[in-house]
Amino acid sequence: MEQIKEEMMAYLQNKSFMDSGTKLNDDDSLTMKGIIDSIGLIELIDFISEKYSIDIPEDLLTPENFDSINGIVNIIQKLTK
Amino acid sequence: MIIIDELNKDTEKNAFKIRTFIKRKVQDFKKKGVVVGVSGGIDSAVILTLAVQALGNENVYGLLLPEEESATISTELGARLCELLDVSYEKVPITPILQSLDIYAEKNRIIKKTCHEYDSDIHKTSLVLPALLNNDMLNIPSIRLVKDGEIIAENRLKAKDYLELIGIQNVKQRSRMLIQYLYAEKNNYIVCGTTNKTELILGQFVKYGDGGVDIEPLADCYKTQVYALADLLGVDKEIIERPPSPDTWSHYTSDEDFYWRMPIQIMDQLLYSQEYALPIEMIEENTELSEEAIDRAKKHIDKVRSAANYSVSPPTICYLDK
Repeated sequence: MEQIKEEMMAYLQNKSFMDSGTKLNDDDSLTMKGIIDSIGLIELIDFISEKYSIDIPEDLLTPENFDSINGIVNIIQKLTK
Repeated sequence: MIIIDELNKDTEKNAFKIRTFIKRKVQDFKKKGVVVGVSGGIDSAVILTLAVQALGNENVYGLLLPEEESATISTELGARLCELLDVSYEKVPITPILQSLDIYAEKNRIIKKTCHEYDSDIHKTSLVLPALLNNDMLNIPSIRLVKDGEIIAENRLKAKDYLELIGIQNVKQRSRMLIQYLYAEKNNYIVCGTTNKTELILGQFVKYGDGGVDIEPLADCYKTQVYALADLLGVDKEIIERPPSPDTWSHYTSDEDFYWRMPIQIMDQLLYSQEYALPIEMIEENTELSEEAIDRAKKHIDKVRSAANYSVSPPTICYLDK
C-alpha cells in the first residue's frame, strides 16, 4: 500500500500541476485542488493501467476511485489482487 | 423564480439589440457586410436571419462549408435557409483541404487503434462522454462505432490518442475559418461568429476555428435564448428540432452526448443559477434534480469552465512598461 502511494505521489510530482510546495492529504480531491485537469485524469488512468498491468472496467471510472490518493491506492489494490 | 421563463423573456428586445450590434460593428470596422458560415444548425440560422434584418440581404454572404463527414441534411438546410432569406451563398467543400493534410487517414488510424474492429466502409463513428446526472462517472471520452444505427462498440481513448484526435478534428473548424476570411476580405466584409453564451462559458468552440471571427452577436445569449430567438424569427422547424452538433463525426454526435453530458435546458438553468448565485432550493425546484446531482453537475461545469480559460484567452501580450 505504501509503495503504491509513493509511486502515485512520484507520478503526480512529475506529471501533474502539483509543485513541491503543494500539501496533499490522502483524501483531497486531485481535480478540485487543481493538481490534475480532465486531460491529466485520462493520462493518470493510462499510467495506472500500464504500470500495474490492469484493465480498468468502465463502471469503476468514478471520482471515488480516481480523484484522491486514497481512492487510487484502494482501487489499484483491488484490481491487482 | 422560473429560470426558463427568465431566459425566454425579452426575446424581441434581445433580437433588436443584436441587430443594432451587428449594424454598428460593421460600421465601426468600416466594412460593407458580413460573411456567415451556415451550418444548417440553429445558431447560424438565427444569426443569418438577424444579419439580413440588420444589414439587408445584399450585405450578407452565406457560406456552406461541408466536408466528407458532414450530414447531407446540414447543407440542404443551410441552402434552403439562404434561399428563403434571398442571401447570396456558395458551397465550398473543405474536404480537399482536409485530405491534403491527411486528416481522414490519421483519424481512421486512431479509431482503428482504439476499436480494432473498425472498418471505415462499414462503421460510422462518434466521440462520446458518459452522461452525468444519473451516475457519477469520470469525464473519459470514448469512440463509439455504429453500424446500421446500432452501437456495436464503445472503447475508451488513451490520452495521447485523444489529444491527437482533438487536434485533427479542430482542423475542420480552422479550415472553415480560412475560407470565411477569404470571402470576407474579397467582399470587404467582416466574419460573423455564431457562438452562443452556453458555448462561450464552456469553451465549446475551436480557438481560431469557429472562435476565429470578428464579432460574436450571440455570445451573451444562452442556448435556450437562441431557441426563443429562432421561434420569434420563424426559423425553419426542421433546423430548430435538430439536436445541436458540431457535425464533425460520421455518426451525428449531439452536443448533449459530447459536451454538455446533460439536456441543454438543465445545463442552461445551472449556468444561469451560477451567474446569479441562486440558492440551492431554487435550483432544485427548477431543475427537479436532487442536491447531489446538482452538486455533481456544478463540479463538472466548474472543471469545464476552468479548462475553457485557455480557449477564451486572446494572445497574451508581454507589456514592457508593466
